[in-house]
Amino acid sequence: MHSHNDKIMRLYCRIAPPNIVLSFLILTMLLVGCSRKKDAKSYPSGTSAGGYVVVGVEGDIDSFCPLFAEDVTAGEINDLFYPALTSSNFNQTIGFLEYHPLVAQSWEFENGGKDIRFHIKQGLRWSDGVTLTARDVQISYELYADTNVASVRQTSVEGLRKSKDGTIRIAEAVEIINDSTVLFHFDHPYPGQLFDAGLPILPAHAFDSTLHRESLKESPLNHWPLSAGPFKLKSWKAMQQIELEANQSSVLPYPAKLSGLIYRIIPDYHSRLMQLASGEIDVFPYINVEDALQLAQNDSNINVQSLGERFYDAINWNNIDSDVFKKSKGKKIVPHLLFSNSTVRRALTMAINRKEIVDSYLKAYGREAIGPISPIFRWAYNDTLKPLPFNPREASALLAEEGWHDSDGDGILDRGGHLFSFTLKIPSGSQLRSEIATIVQNQLKAVKINVKIEQIERAVFWNDIMEKNFDACIAGFTVPLQMQLDELWGSDLEKSRFNLTSFQNERVAKILAKAKLVENEKENADAWKEFQVILQNEQPCTFLYWMNDLVAVNKRVKGTQIGVLGISYQAGDWYLE
Amino acid sequence: MIDIVYFTIKRMITGVLLVLCLLSLVFIIAHAAPGDPILSTLSPRVSASVAAEVREHFGLDKPLHVQFTEWMRNCLVGNFGVSISHGRPVGELVATFLPNTIVLALVAIVIELVLGLFIGLMAARHEGSFLDRCVSSGSMVLFTLPTFWIGIVLLAVFSYALGLLPSSQMFSIGAERLAFNERTIDFIKHLILPAITVAIPGTAALTRYFRASLIKLQHEEYLTYATSFGVPRRKVFLSYELPNAVGPVVTLLGLELGTLLTGALVTETMYAWPGMGRLAVMAIVSRDYPLIMGCTVVAGAVVILGNCLADVLYMLIDPRVET
Repeated sequence: MHSHNDKIMRLYCRIAPPNIVLSFLILTMLLVGCSRKKDAKSYPSGTSAGGYVVVGVEGDIDSFCPLFAEDVTAGEINDLFYPALTSSNFNQTIGFLEYHPLVAQSWEFENGGKDIRFHIKQGLRWSDGVTLTARDVQISYELYADTNVASVRQTSVEGLRKSKDGTIRIAEAVEIINDSTVLFHFDHPYPGQLFDAGLPILPAHAFDSTLHRESLKESPLNHWPLSAGPFKLKSWKAMQQIELEANQSSVLPYPAKLSGLIYRIIPDYHSRLMQLASGEIDVFPYINVEDALQLAQNDSNINVQSLGERFYDAINWNNIDSDVFKKSKGKKIVPHLLFSNSTVRRALTMAINRKEIVDSYLKAYGREAIGPISPIFRWAYNDTLKPLPFNPREASALLAEEGWHDSDGDGILDRGGHLFSFTLKIPSGSQLRSEIATIVQNQLKAVKINVKIEQIERAVFWNDIMEKNFDACIAGFTVPLQMQLDELWGSDLEKSRFNLTSFQNERVAKILAKAKLVENEKENADAWKEFQVILQNEQPCTFLYWMNDLVAVNKRVKGTQIGVLGISYQAGDWYLE
Repeated sequence: MIDIVYFTIKRMITGVLLVLCLLSLVFIIAHAAPGDPILSTLSPRVSASVAAEVREHFGLDKPLHVQFTEWMRNCLVGNFGVSISHGRPVGELVATFLPNTIVLALVAIVIELVLGLFIGLMAARHEGSFLDRCVSSGSMVLFTLPTFWIGIVLLAVFSYALGLLPSSQMFSIGAERLAFNERTIDFIKHLILPAITVAIPGTAALTRYFRASLIKLQHEEYLTYATSFGVPRRKVFLSYELPNAVGPVVTLLGLELGTLLTGALVTETMYAWPGMGRLAVMAIVSRDYPLIMGCTVVAGAVVILGNCLADVLYMLIDPRVET
């Protein structure tokens, strides 16, 4: 579970284009061919297919080691191998993560909430028979914290107690009391303590301290993991398939009900679609809305499930002059000629018909966004706010109020000799964003704003926006399940690398700072609601929509708990009808 | 014969120099292109310090010329470095994926040769007939069809509608538990559709080339002369006509072999065939410099080898060709 939460602020640039025409063509062909779907299943004779579920994924995983795994599928698979002290579930009624025992059978807060004492269950074993003890927990955190290892989860240990010299000594911060008790010391109480204490535990005996930690990134351990979870790795054929089998020795909480879970790597979206319809794959993550709707309508064997509203897209207006910012190496901030004014930004939002975009493209699987806090966080979401209305007339009036007029009659607003003209950058490979960019271009043209669309390769796009080399861009984020928004909205632009718009606001800075210190997150609900009001007024970016990522599942697969915690969350409980 | 050996050695030396130039060029272009392998590989969440550590680990913090000389030095002793995105040695990755591409390419070449030569011969023999007209226009259509379209149609018909052949991957699920012969049959079944998809445009081109060569030769005076002397038609064809007609085809095949061995990206993607094309594109997308260079070494070497092989074969077939 942790990996999904941990993938906060992952820039979401979908690669598979939802080519509607091609999809329609394929689905039509499939409907013709569906009468033979049972025969199409490619299990060779002599293989027991009954106990297997096949998940069709786009790409191979990057690592079987939680220290380095960045890929979403890798994170989900690793969660099935490497258990954490706690497991969690997302309480949808209140929109909170709730923690339950997993490796730890219980825990208690001590020292005014600064320490957590975990009592580890007895009889836990890795798949090679070695016992899981408190030492595994300590070594795991040592590896996560070690700068030589350069783990991608290094920031998750930053809340642990620091020594006088400011460094974290894991032997002191994650203290082994005995084989079954481990004491975590934190600098101060904060809402994400249990979350940070819930990193996947690694087998200490495999990651022996005598290893050269600098080269751990290339270790074979990353490809042949041990497991204490419900599944263990059976085989991995690079760029072909990953086969997991039930880990019969698991007591966390028990061996998987399925005999195996197979991830078939099928890079082509349409091939995956065809294989889902033919029954070759059972689970198709991240299916396009159009295809999901058609399958749900035409194929009675397919269920469409939602991963919840964790992803939003926005048009990010660069609030500062990026050239000056870059030249001064981030020391000098000059307002952007076009987008530094909140009235102008409000006008831009009002000139764009976001509801039409949602209705046309996302249908029932999306909703207009008012800010970066997802409606799934019911306790923090400000449901009194309504999206700014689509009103081009009012937008023109607001622009005129700020001195933007078409003084030379060329059809483009100008002020002081500067035209209201800019480039909107979008990543290539995203059909949805490409179409939205065209809609935005047309709608802004109606209020006499000239937009040039620049579609650039994903790696270059990412580079550009991180270097603030853009006027406006369409980009989105998957939000974390812990309310951590300082990297996205913090006013210190050096620390808040993902504050794409370079929005700076004193009150927001205070809210974010307070959020990190408050013990009970719920106490901060009013502050988060105020935060949303500020963003609504300031419109640093035009929030477009919250989107439900969809997963198509063959109805023969039962017991899935696909939701905000991911696809294979509790995959140990999956079974076949 | 000595001439051919001398020619081959000369071509190999030129080839090595060409590969070195290619590597330098690709190294510079890859590094000059916008994009960052660390940003592409690591999550944006990763702190700047971790990103810097990873950058240092892969030597990306060093000046470009130092990176290049280090890479070249390692390359000469067979060490292509470690892939940034896969965390595995590049040599190991190439060794995993290259055989898959070789199998696909060779089977496709065999299909192209057998079908291309046969259909081309039939068309030439019946020049101007209905069959010839069908072959001419049909091969033109097939040659211009996009590979992805051919792939989709083949998949829809043979895999989904008829259920005759598997749709993706090299083996079925659980194939490792099968007996050797069953496993081989399973592999062949998986190979058929991608091989045909790759082979169709090549077959069409080969057919047209071979047909045109044969038709051109049919009107040569030396063939009429040989026939008028009473040399049997079969001998005229096998001894004089065929060797001369095959020359341009060999050149085409050399180029085709080089292209196919570098990976058939669209086909590999459609059929989830784990080959060099997919590996190279993934490397480029993620700016995985060591892997890009590893793929370039292989691609450069096979293209040059393919061309060299074609030239040597051409010389063996047609002694008029000078070294």
